[in-house]
Amino acid sequence: MPDSTFLDSTELVLNMGPQHPSTHGVLRVILKLDGEKVMGTSCVIGYLHRGVEKIAENRTWAQFNPYVDRMDYVAAVSNGLGYCLAVEKLLGVEAPPRAQAVRVILTELNRIASHLVWLGTHALDIGAITPVFYCFREREEALNIFEKYCGARLTTHAFRIGGLLYETYDGFEREVKAFCKMFPPKVDEYEELLTNNRIWAGRLKNVGVLTADECKEYGVTGPVLRAAGVKWDLRKAQPYSGYEKYDFEIPTRENGDTYDRYIVRMREMRQAVRIIEQAVEGMPEGPIMGKVPKVIKPPVGEAYVSIEAPKGELGYYVVSDGSVQPYRVRVRPPSFVNLQALDRMVRGGLVADVVAVIGTLDIVLGEVDR
Amino acid sequence: MVKLLRKIFLVDLFTGLMVTFRNQRPKYIYTEQYPGERPKVAERYRGAPRLNINPENGETLCISCNLCALACPEGLIVVTSERNEQTKRKDLTTFTYDTSRCMFCGLCEDACPVDALELTQDFELATYTREGQIWDRQMLEEGPRPTPYKC
Amino acid sequence: MADEQKPEGSQQPPPAAKPAAPKPAAPAPKPPATMAATPWTSEMARDLKERFGERVKETSTYLGQNFIVTTPDGAIPVLEYLKLEADFDYLVDITAVDWPKRADRFDLVWVVYSFARNERVRIKTCIFDGFKPPTAVGAHLTANWLEREVFDMFGIEFDGHPDMRRILMPDEWSGHPLRKDYSILQQDQRWVQENLGIESGQ
Ligand code: SF4
Ligand code: SF4
Repeated sequence: MPDSTFLDSTELVLNMGPQHPSTHGVLRVILKLDGEKVMGTSCVIGYLHRGVEKIAENRTWAQFNPYVDRMDYVAAVSNGLGYCLAVEKLLGVEAPPRAQAVRVILTELNRIASHLVWLGTHALDIGAITPVFYCFREREEALNIFEKYCGARLTTHAFRIGGLLYETYDGFEREVKAFCKMFPPKVDEYEELLTNNRIWAGRLKNVGVLTADECKEYGVTGPVLRAAGVKWDLRKAQPYSGYEKYDFEIPTRENGDTYDRYIVRMREMRQAVRIIEQAVEGMPEGPIMGKVPKVIKPPVGEAYVSIEAPKGELGYYVVSDGSVQPYRVRVRPPSFVNLQALDRMVRGGLVADVVAVIGTLDIVLGEVDR
Repeated sequence: MVKLLRKIFLVDLFTGLMVTFRNQRPKYIYTEQYPGERPKVAERYRGAPRLNINPENGETLCISCNLCALACPEGLIVVTSERNEQTKRKDLTTFTYDTSRCMFCGLCEDACPVDALELTQDFELATYTREGQIWDRQMLEEGPRPTPYKC
Repeated sequence: MADEQKPEGSQQPPPAAKPAAPKPAAPAPKPPATMAATPWTSEMARDLKERFGERVKETSTYLGQNFIVTTPDGAIPVLEYLKLEADFDYLVDITAVDWPKRADRFDLVWVVYSFARNERVRIKTCIFDGFKPPTAVGAHLTANWLEREVFDMFGIEFDGHPDMRRILMPDEWSGHPLRKDYSILQQDQRWVQENLGIESGQ
């Protein structure tokens, strides 16, 4: 004779994470379940909190630069670009054209690398083992270019305030071009594996829907917003670092479900290749460092500068009190804000969808917790 | 109709399998057999630090200016020096570098005015103790001695 | 790249301080060097001034970025007005800056963006320590976590927030790390000893 709790359909509270392979880091999600159905979630974050903003206040402007790479470590170059642009804005300098072109090339390569990590791990979560190996193989090629350019693969510290430290190496253009030629067929390959795959579509379609209005309400940006049909990309809306010179499209989809976000990111990788091709084609000659004083001391003031990171809008709010150290550096992390919409996306769905939705949000816990 | 046929003949499954088999070619093998086969890292790779010595007379190139220690965000370099009465220059006495806290950002290397401190291509930094991560002047000049593996 | 720890007072005068509206509106005893902001005049700025009168203290531009300085009780109405009437439907960020020397200790900053206008505006207000600003969750759901983070890091409690808990630091932690009087090496010794079982986290 089963006891009364057996028939009792009370909610079950299930703890997912912080050490769970599909939470992409140390994210803990507390799920309230009614059978297989998710009645509500609550996220516990902060396990990876390192106090990046506090560290900034105790370093000089230039010294803080390597730390930003450690927030979104799969897209370190984008983080560095955002920080450098913010400080350059305060200083009132602009990187010379050649530096801007190299910055664009590396940032777009990094966007591809970041999306490849996302695709590989997301597919792994859904149950497709193969893509992860292919994705990491191609990512390797991009990382090799980083390594040759600046000496590190992941936490690159590639840019300096005011421009670049390193001139491109011999064969940089050739290798980047070779990458651009090699990569699009590989994207076709991933799509062959996944796009029409019935299991893939069945697991992703109509899962974790977030409409355009909900996106705006939750402040969700990046591919998630574009998959909901909003044609908005900071590279087009408020171009920085010379993005206005390049011809590319903003891929969008209408439904705002997990499958659409997959399609948007795949197309974004192709667009990134297009941008890299144009940038490497018309790479101007000239200096790579702007007129930056040796000791960086921005005048008193504040600025908010944001860029389109692979995950969404990455903003830096920097305040200077005129000394060699930042008075305040606030990072507006896209993963942190996007993660907030998780509850809305999974409520009413199944437990298995939670895994799919965490994957599709493309969060990096280093950035959520900073 | 087309859809049904696709379903019956498992077209999507076979396109997927095609890709898998295409990638079985030995040419595509990417895995490196570390440590039997060591990867060649790039020239600019930022790895183990080294304090360069003048190859002619074996003296250190470092002029004890302390700029690297000031540039380091982690403050992990400690340079001590002694004033030499004869030459009126500073002589380096000790130089410690705590690799366990280093993030290999390269700021110290950039700051050095005489290219004495350099981050080399050496990437095998593991030791058995925490103290082993703190490199003194001798280790910085001669380099670490990694255990050679035979495969 | 000198790493000297500069105390507050030893700043250099700003290189090109235009005789423009000074930023800290609070009656600070000795105002530090001010930001060289210029007044922001546009239709919207005028509109805001008209509608909110005294509550909008200043509309300025610095480095091409517009910001509105309001009184503490004016920020949320301005935010709501911007959302409903002026299409600023995306709340980008909420953050704070600590100025311990000032009477009104914190700068509270909201960044909003309008997709329709492709425009970004910052709303700023100065509040004293202990003041409970009203929450923005009613207008933008994003504010939920962002305000929790501000509370966690600065100890600014938002009035009417549905879930005012810490978000990044452990719940029982004492102290608010991003305040200027919280040293970078400081930690909650008791929490570390009780929960991690070690003497010190350093
Ligand atoms: S590489 Fe960076 S962290 Fe390491 S010692 Fe040099 S400056 Fe310091
Ligand atoms: S910066 Fe170079 S020369 Fe100066 S103390 Fe460091 S290693 Fe020696």
